[in-house]
Amino acid sequence: MASYWFGDVAGGVCRPYPGHELDALSERLDLLIEKNDPYVPFTWEFARECGFVHSREEYIEVLRSLCTMRAEMELGRISRTPEMELVYMVRMLDQIDEAVNLLTERALEWHAAKDPAFSRKFRELRGQKAREMLAGSKNPVLSAIATEMTHLSEVRSALSREITALAADVMPNISGLVGGVVAARLLSGAGGLSRLARLPAATVQVMGARIALFSHLRSGTPPPKHGIIYQHRRVHAAGKARRGKVSRTLAAKLAIAARIDYYRGLPDPGFLESADQAIDRAGGRR
Amino acid sequence: MIWVDGVLVSSGEGGVYGERILSGKRVWNPYRSKLAAYYHLGGDVEIGSSTRVLYLGAAHGTTVSHVADYAEIVYAVENACIPMRDLLAVAARRKNIIPLFADATRPCEYAPLVETVQLVIEDVAHPDQAGIAIANSVFLESGGAAILAIKARSIDVSRSPREVVDEVCRTLNGSPLVVGKVIWLEPYHRDHAILVCRKQGPCIEKRE
Repeated sequence: MASYWFGDVAGGVCRPYPGHELDALSERLDLLIEKNDPYVPFTWEFARECGFVHSREEYIEVLRSLCTMRAEMELGRISRTPEMELVYMVRMLDQIDEAVNLLTERALEWHAAKDPAFSRKFRELRGQKAREMLAGSKNPVLSAIATEMTHLSEVRSALSREITALAADVMPNISGLVGGVVAARLLSGAGGLSRLARLPAATVQVMGARIALFSHLRSGTPPPKHGIIYQHRRVHAAGKARRGKVSRTLAAKLAIAARIDYYRGLPDPGFLESADQAIDRAGGRR
Repeated sequence: MIWVDGVLVSSGEGGVYGERILSGKRVWNPYRSKLAAYYHLGGDVEIGSSTRVLYLGAAHGTTVSHVADYAEIVYAVENACIPMRDLLAVAARRKNIIPLFADATRPCEYAPLVETVQLVIEDVAHPDQAGIAIANSVFLESGGAAILAIKARSIDVSRSPREVVDEVCRTLNGSPLVVGKVIWLEPYHRDHAILVCRKQGPCIEKRE
């Protein structure tokens, strides 16, 4: 027997699906895809001989509505999940960082050009301090720009708080280990929690160190020890000799945490505690 | 294929992606579309008003919209969310595009929906383009053509594009798809080639 979206054909006899109701057809299709029978080629004439449709136009029209509906439903399902929102939020956060840094640098150059005596000092100034100094500039436009950037970095803090809150909800164990923002970056790198949960620990460890990894594979440079997880305190605070070990342990625990988050969705205090201990041990602290 | 003063065009409702209009027809830009470049370089696989097409890697639906202007029906497979949204918008305005939100490496996801086709066009960025073409050749009728746009640099950036294409041909060897012609898309696209294959079997001559 061969099953198609419009009906089943067995031994030259065709049983059409009763009616053109899209929801029911779509459910039937899900079952067919699940069953995964080998493909038997067919033409639309089967559907006409079945009595499912009368003309080619009708066949295409029903098929087209069915496929469009399924695609729209699937798109809606994906974009409505909070994890996708988290991905967009953390990408926004990184973009704001980049914009603020770029604008600050540019504004400092402008300021330095107006006041040559300033050039040596301004290299020391960073972030908020630089913006405060610029806000006091005599040029009203420059000071307005600095004020805007201060606003933007306030928005960034609010966004970062929101990410932390949402991440604690979506992936309680991963954010329990590395904090919400790093957790969200890992999620963004993997492209979704279901994918993150299927990744091996070694991939989690070097995720975000793409260039270093491929240069290692291609020309044998030393392999990267850490990617995104470098941003986590316990990795970048560890001594250089220990860092590889810490990130390896952390990645292993993150891979487990991702599976707990995806398949169970609840925080596991016992796991978090033992994982924290293991990571601290790797860092040489007891 | 319709040509107006040496410019490839297709007739259909305009304004899909801001394409130019020339004497009432939509200009199919070879610098944007690899398939258009293939026709500019002497490609001879005709898409006629009775051709059924399976298009893998439909993306935003720009090339698909032109193919749909020529073909009877286009089954457009795309796997990524954001291009799919654009593709749905294109498909909403053309009655002969069937949008399939599925993964071309897993034809079982859309097998019950796709009838046999005379032409498979594959424009995916995937390391195993040959494997995808072979897996999808079940939809192709005997004697039907498969057009593979090989993105040599996406398959392996470290090897020379010629080597990559040779390897794709070797993989296709022994499959139902027989490689006919390899056309490099210089000067329109760098390091891209079009592979034209035919499906083996009793050749059924089908004319419009």
